Amino acid sequence: MKIAVVGKGGSGKTTTSAVIARTFAHAGQSTLALDCDTNPNLGISLGIGEEATEQLISVRDAVGAGEEQHATSADDLVERFGVDGPDGVRLAVVSAIQNPEPGCPCCGISPEQMLGQLARPGRVVVADLEAGLGTIMRLHGNPVDVVVVTVEPTAKSLEVGRRAAAAVQEATLGRIVVTANRVRGDEDMARVRAAFAGVDPVMIPDDPAIMDAERRGVAPLDAAPDAPGVRALIGLAELLLDAGGVSG
Amino acid sequence: MRVAFVGKGGAGKSSLAGTFARVLARTGDRVLALDSDPMPGMAFSLGVEQSDAGLPDEAVEEYEAEGSLRYRLRAGLSGTDAVEKYAVRGPDGVHFLQLGKARGARWNNTRQHVGYQRVMDDLPDEGWSVVGDLPGGTRQPFFTWGRYAETFLVVVEPTPASMLTGRRLAKLASAPTNPRVVVVANKVRGPHDANRIADRTGLALLGAVPFDPVLGEADRLGRAIIERDPDGPTVEAVRSLVGSLRSETEH
Repeated sequence: MKIAVVGKGGSGKTTTSAVIARTFAHAGQSTLALDCDTNPNLGISLGIGEEATEQLISVRDAVGAGEEQHATSADDLVERFGVDGPDGVRLAVVSAIQNPEPGCPCCGISPEQMLGQLARPGRVVVADLEAGLGTIMRLHGNPVDVVVVTVEPTAKSLEVGRRAAAAVQEATLGRIVVTANRVRGDEDMARVRAAFAGVDPVMIPDDPAIMDAERRGVAPLDAAPDAPGVRALIGLAELLLDAGGVSG
Repeated sequence: MRVAFVGKGGAGKSSLAGTFARVLARTGDRVLALDSDPMPGMAFSLGVEQSDAGLPDEAVEEYEAEGSLRYRLRAGLSGTDAVEKYAVRGPDGVHFLQLGKARGARWNNTRQHVGYQRVMDDLPDEGWSVVGDLPGGTRQPFFTWGRYAETFLVVVEPTPASMLTGRRLAKLASAPTNPRVVVVANKVRGPHDANRIADRTGLALLGAVPFDPVLGEADRLGRAIIERDPDGPTVEAVRSLVGSLRSETEH
């Protein structure tokens, strides 16, 4: 099963991806969290800490630096250059832009390529994509099972989310689950529902515990597992798990 | 003055860039506000009604050189002409240009991208101030997309993820063109936050913008903060940023 998380920058993609991945792993699924952002921060939200996140070497850099002598499979690369996170999640970073002239980020090892190769029976891949639609629109012929579109209840974020969902739908890339983060009340819910008519968006309440965890650089799941916002994100993960988790 | 805002997604680039453009225009500058994202963003914080203000296809023509297909501005169309003709007029006389709305799921934006670059390369320094809102993250800040900028303002909030992004951007800034790069501490809850951001990014602190709950309300309503709360803390802090940058560049 492959889950891609997309949305505007700052709409909660990384936090959402981290809770989904850890909830799947906690339920016994073999789970790979794939950080597809060229500015990778997923490690912080998963709970491996800021320092370890900064030191993570991307698969693309490892291959580029010649540390990988032979052509190997994506599975081997994740094995060699990924790290283990809490709840047994395996974390790998596809390509970080670290140098002023890193070459073309579209060439070499790419998120869409890794995402395709890493899919196999018995494993769940949760991909935290770069903001915008670039990556998901390059997933030719290799649709993911579920696309989680994250939005905030702001005019801008809802407009971006609406266009993102339309594009995903047009390209028939998989089932869409709209998740609205930082929802403060009825007015916010009404705004979200108006932007996504005919869809039943998952509402995640605005929760100071999540902001506090982000300011401290720790996983919301570790800092405040019972906070309403975190519980709602776990609920989203369980929904996805029920719908398509891998058994056995 | 030619500036571009960069930073992690959600750090507040668009809100600050849009407000910065309006404040600068009110000081009498002729301002071009640029949003190089095909998804709408800056228009909301500028208070521009139309959010998809891109270059039309006819502004750019194809030609062949050394066996490959290239793009240039249509013959006879200068950068100034293109801005006068295609940029949307916003409040305070701001000219607003966006990369252009993504057209469908597999839109190839090369034509728009190149046209946008040509306009910026051709626009004379004299007579225009430019305020750019670059896409979040580290993918494309200092080259092609932002090469018009003399100064990059890295917007960082007091979270480790945002500060880590700031560090990465600081490193990427050591580019051949060697632009000036400063940090703007956003959503701070005290001087401690701003100092920590300067410390952890290693960048010179241009100024700090306090956490402002009214900005959250304005964003929900899709309104520009400069209209919703013209004398509030966010606009006040942006005025200071404009003032600091102006006094620094004039000395």
